[in-house]
Amino acid sequence: MSAAVPQTDPASHAELVTLSIDGVEVRVPKGTLLVEAAKTIHTDIPVYCYHEKLGPAGLCRICLVEIDGMPKLQIACNTVVADGMKVHTRNPRVDDGRRAILEFFLLNHPLDCPICDKGGECDLQDYAMAWGSGSSRMIDPKTSKPKAVDLGPTIVLDEERCIVCQRCVRFDQIITREESLRTEDRAVQTIIATATGKPYVSDFTGNVTELCPVGALTSKTYRFRSRPWDNHRTTTSCTQCSVGCRMHVDERGNTVLRTMSVPEDDALSDSWLCDRGRYNVGFVNDERRLTMPLLKQDGAWVQIDWADALDLWAEKIKAALAAGGPERIGAIGGGRLLNEEALLAAHLHRALGVENLDHRIGTQTLVHHGSFANHVDLENANTIITLGRPPSQLAPVLDLRIRKAVSRNGARLISAGDYAADSFVPETHVTTPAGLKDAIGANPGRVAMIWDGVFFEGGPELTAAMHDLPAATRVDRYVLPETPNGRGAEALGMIPRGAGLGTGAMFAAARDGKLDVLSILGANPVLRYPDRALAEDGLRATPFVVVTDLFLTETAEFANLVLPVCSAFEKSGTTTDLAGDVLPVVGSVRPPDGVLADGDLLVELAERLGVTLPMPDELEAKVRELVKTPPADGAVPAYVRATAAAPGGALRVIADAAIFTGGGTLAFDTAIRELHARPHARINPATARALALADGDPVNVAGDNGTTLYDLVVRVDERVAEGAVALLDGVVRAPLNALGRAPAVRLEKVPVTA
Amino acid sequence: MSTTLITPVLTKGIGELNLREIAVYREQGGYEQLRRAVVELSPKDVADICNGSNLRGRGGAGFPTGRKWSFLPKDAKTRYMVCNCDEAEPGTFKDHMLLEETPHQIIEGILIGAYAIGCDHAYIYIRGEFKRGYEIMRDAVQQARDAGFLGENIFGSGKKLEFTIHRGAGAYICGEETGLLNSLEGKRGEPRLKPPFPAIKGLYGEPTVVNNVETLAYLPYIMRNGPEWFAKVGPERSPGYKVVSISGHVVKPGNYEVPLGTTIRQLIYDCAGGLRPGRTFMGVQPGGGSSACLFEEHLDVSYDFDSVTKAGSMLGSGAMVVFDDTTDFVKAAYTLIRFFSHESCGQCTPCREGGHWIQKTLERILAGGGVDSDVDVIKSAAHQLTGLNLCALGDSIEPFLASVITRYEDQFRAYIKRTPAPAVGAAS
Amino acid sequence: MRKNLFNVGALVRGMSTTFSYMFKKKPTVEYPSVKKQHAPRFHGLHELRRYADGKERCIGCELCAIACPANAITVIGAENSPEDRRSPGERFAARYEIDELRCIFCGLCEEACPTDAIVLTPRFEMADYRRGAFVYAKDRLLVPPEAGVGTPPDERPNGIPADLGGVFRAKDTVDIAEGYDATHRGHILKTQRRGLTLRQAKGDDGRPGEIE
Repeated sequence: MSAAVPQTDPASHAELVTLSIDGVEVRVPKGTLLVEAAKTIHTDIPVYCYHEKLGPAGLCRICLVEIDGMPKLQIACNTVVADGMKVHTRNPRVDDGRRAILEFFLLNHPLDCPICDKGGECDLQDYAMAWGSGSSRMIDPKTSKPKAVDLGPTIVLDEERCIVCQRCVRFDQIITREESLRTEDRAVQTIIATATGKPYVSDFTGNVTELCPVGALTSKTYRFRSRPWDNHRTTTSCTQCSVGCRMHVDERGNTVLRTMSVPEDDALSDSWLCDRGRYNVGFVNDERRLTMPLLKQDGAWVQIDWADALDLWAEKIKAALAAGGPERIGAIGGGRLLNEEALLAAHLHRALGVENLDHRIGTQTLVHHGSFANHVDLENANTIITLGRPPSQLAPVLDLRIRKAVSRNGARLISAGDYAADSFVPETHVTTPAGLKDAIGANPGRVAMIWDGVFFEGGPELTAAMHDLPAATRVDRYVLPETPNGRGAEALGMIPRGAGLGTGAMFAAARDGKLDVLSILGANPVLRYPDRALAEDGLRATPFVVVTDLFLTETAEFANLVLPVCSAFEKSGTTTDLAGDVLPVVGSVRPPDGVLADGDLLVELAERLGVTLPMPDELEAKVRELVKTPPADGAVPAYVRATAAAPGGALRVIADAAIFTGGGTLAFDTAIRELHARPHARINPATARALALADGDPVNVAGDNGTTLYDLVVRVDERVAEGAVALLDGVVRAPLNALGRAPAVRLEKVPVTA
Repeated sequence: MSTTLITPVLTKGIGELNLREIAVYREQGGYEQLRRAVVELSPKDVADICNGSNLRGRGGAGFPTGRKWSFLPKDAKTRYMVCNCDEAEPGTFKDHMLLEETPHQIIEGILIGAYAIGCDHAYIYIRGEFKRGYEIMRDAVQQARDAGFLGENIFGSGKKLEFTIHRGAGAYICGEETGLLNSLEGKRGEPRLKPPFPAIKGLYGEPTVVNNVETLAYLPYIMRNGPEWFAKVGPERSPGYKVVSISGHVVKPGNYEVPLGTTIRQLIYDCAGGLRPGRTFMGVQPGGGSSACLFEEHLDVSYDFDSVTKAGSMLGSGAMVVFDDTTDFVKAAYTLIRFFSHESCGQCTPCREGGHWIQKTLERILAGGGVDSDVDVIKSAAHQLTGLNLCALGDSIEPFLASVITRYEDQFRAYIKRTPAPAVGAAS
Repeated sequence: MRKNLFNVGALVRGMSTTFSYMFKKKPTVEYPSVKKQHAPRFHGLHELRRYADGKERCIGCELCAIACPANAITVIGAENSPEDRRSPGERFAARYEIDELRCIFCGLCEEACPTDAIVLTPRFEMADYRRGAFVYAKDRLLVPPEAGVGTPPDERPNGIPADLGGVFRAKDTVDIAEGYDATHRGHILKTQRRGLTLRQAKGDDGRPGEIE
């Protein structure tokens, strides 16, 4: 089943063959599959098991065609074109064959189209209309199988509807390489199941519901909520991480019901979506969304009018300017805003002379640092080096490119430093400079280097080998922003310049009483800033803090004024992906009444402050120009991750990321609660032995600053260095940043109470 | 009964000698041809001898063995030889006997074949149910290893020939060569999509030849007696000897080794002792469960690959199942269909769904719930699922069913009319 | 004058027609005190039916909504939970609304329904002063559990349903002074008194009551 997908890239095959399909002469590259060749003349050959990205499997047998000179009907999905081939896709013999296959499919397929989520967009329905007979010749009862089988936290399987095309199984084998699905039993009892019998868990589970040509695999979040014809479709870019996958948003009655991948999007998503992009949509309609500006008065929240709120904000800024000058004002955020909004925020503040601007709330130093190499370049790299938190944690769909590059194009994957790449493909994990040099070898070919933007002790030494690459080596650098539009925000000016303060320095200055107004635009530093105590102290000491967010987040709790804003589904503009491309964002639903976009607020604020903003028609050109401008080198690290052993037998902490950790939209989305990562503590087997801990044990993590994180689960993993513990960052219930900037921790086993 | 028809080659000594002992086998000239091949001949010489004998595969498809070997890419570094001993075709029991009685002959054949294709690791895939055969083979391999016939440096020639025994888990589909390879790799025993064929991309993705036990076992004898000895027996295009498993309503069922070209009548009446007294002949499956039934008018068909095919059936693995007039063909058809439907791997649609449909319909007919249209429906269902499948299993459903429905439709109709099955023989 | 005299015959003929109708039964009925019989396949207010075990027939498939030429139907499905099973299968209609002002009573919803859940009853009285009141949701469409399963579409009664007091015939009269359940088992409308008192006429002459 590990059939390699034949390359049908026209560029790689100069040689063309000529064949005739239904009498039409077709010239296609040698090696093309017949089913693809037919597409060039818009001839529809029905398929179920074949999929462009998965290749042929030859299971469904519906794609029958007649080829002159062949005694039997042939399947178009596994027939490679040959010169002079004469193919008939429609004649009585082919029709009979397809009718026969359709009859077999429908024998045991339940007639529950009216309640099936796929009804209306189902290949089986479509082809049954074309080839099926109106009634069944089978008079016996249909085979009954379990319905609504819980396959995992996201997917429900209807075994009766399954036509065993095995697209899902092959997706898991060929694309994600996780091999967690398989077929079980045989003959007419064949069903889809997980190989381990445990729930189907992966970061990409949702894709199988789209691949499924029938309604056998459905998403829990979309089950029975709508029929396809009710949905209004908008095509936008996903703003959940920095990959920016193109995606369809299906909306009904101003509710975002689901997001779907765009099959034509070869450039970014390769037609896949990760589960966060697919399932984190419920927050848009959550009833806890803020809809009115909130002002804190005497420790309690009071709803106020927009005009009053904006006036207050402007007054405070004016007062601060008058009292102490622009250095007493700061703004944090931008990584979750659109390009235009980030540009307006930077422009507005710089016009007032404010240089205390920063989009970085986490551990990253630079993100607009990558080259402008795109995802397809990564796929074609020969040597891929990951440094720091890997793409599987920060940019899941990018990780699929790595899996493809390694499994299909034969690239080598090297992970250096504290983090393994975790890509389900063979990787070489190195921790020493010599190891990295060896792993790269003398002939690295095209190199792609993926960095999470975090400086760490010993980093320059570890990566020294990168400077010794052969001179002609092409090196593509990718930096994975922690926030969806981190790269855009940085390029558009949300970064301190000159004497401007960064996020940490702003908090420190605020704590020391040197800051009067702090505007936090769509950011949650209390959960994300590496030193939570500092962030909290800074916010507490600032006389006026404005927070714009959808929800009353951890940071908003410290604000004086909270302004409700639009989600990315409710506004239009552009965002910047990790490769430095400007992508369109198209709003699909109306925001709740009384909610404005960050951009609207900034325009209003600018008006009140007498600042002239760029006109809308100038914005786009300006965004493109700035995003495409390579950054100046020589940034001072905002944060340096410790790699030295912690003193006194304590463990040093490595921060893990996961796509389903975080506050805000994730924490407030009730439908995906099951997907939230249970906070783990990954430790080396040796460490586990020394501490008498086993996989699955509950532990408390006691930090050296007196903070303890409670009830984490131990995961024993040999890829974690000895003397270290990897903890999930951004978990609301066990926030890693509460432990401080460079914590040394101890694990305490939770006694099991009877 | 004419015993002159029976010409023991592979079956020689069975029942008389303990050929499971390497010493006994060597006394009969065993392993001499392997030594000769490895020490004296080049792989090409051995392949040429095989080609010259015009040996056709004894596993079912009857593909010329030499040609199969020639499909291997010339420049492949690693190749594999796999011996298919997953004999599960209904009615076939020749490999079973050879495995249990003459394991060394099989080992020698496999090793000669492996040498001829230039492979240094051969596998034998033994059906899971052949526990005793597996144990015998295991002991025999140990004896051969001790004797230095396999492993490193065989016969002191410096050549390496490894040998692995793999036990299946009892799936009929693993007798299909690509299903067998998947099973051998530890995967689900499902046939693979072809192309690529095993000769290009087989076991572990390397070029692989899969041959039947009997095919390979003939190799030492062809080597010993020369290719002409084999090629001149029987019809020109399908020469040689064949172990035929005869079962069903005959007096003496069993394995009979005969030259191809013997007629079916001779096999039934001369070798197997004919039908039981007072019974009339109703039909015969000449090549196992997958083959169409032949009737009286075909009794004088020559038993060789081409003639049987011309008569509308196939020689298959050489398993004759004889039916006399006590046969209930509805039940016979149902038993076979249930087998095929149960053994379907479930991958491709026509076989998975169609087989089950026919099985359910026959079940209902047998239970007395048949309706008039059923006969036409199963005929048409069987016909329309044929030729559309991923592997040959699905195509095995139609032949027997269609041939007996056409011939004995009255038996099916009788069930549908809820009258007792017309036990033709009982009445006469 | 002479001419006119000659026309007396015409006058008599004309008046004879008039007089002949004076003694025939009047076709006009005094609605609402008197109601006429419907045509057998009259399409009136919708009803969502149940199965005998009390489960809702509607599976929320929205086929009625897509069939509706007037876009009058809104359905939002949801999944049955084992604790609260509303319909036999996996899916039920969490919301089912028909805008009876938009509805053209064509009956295509009934045709489209795969479970015979939505049917059109002969009930037609649904007047109200508020437009919003014409959006009928499940609370008014669904047959109450105690009222049986609803009317199968092929057994549509010939006339006004029995639960409205039997089939009214033109000769019957009813005292609406008390108000009565105009449509559906008390769900919908109570006829309002508007300062008129109707006295029920006695006898079987089919005449309406007098207005005082």
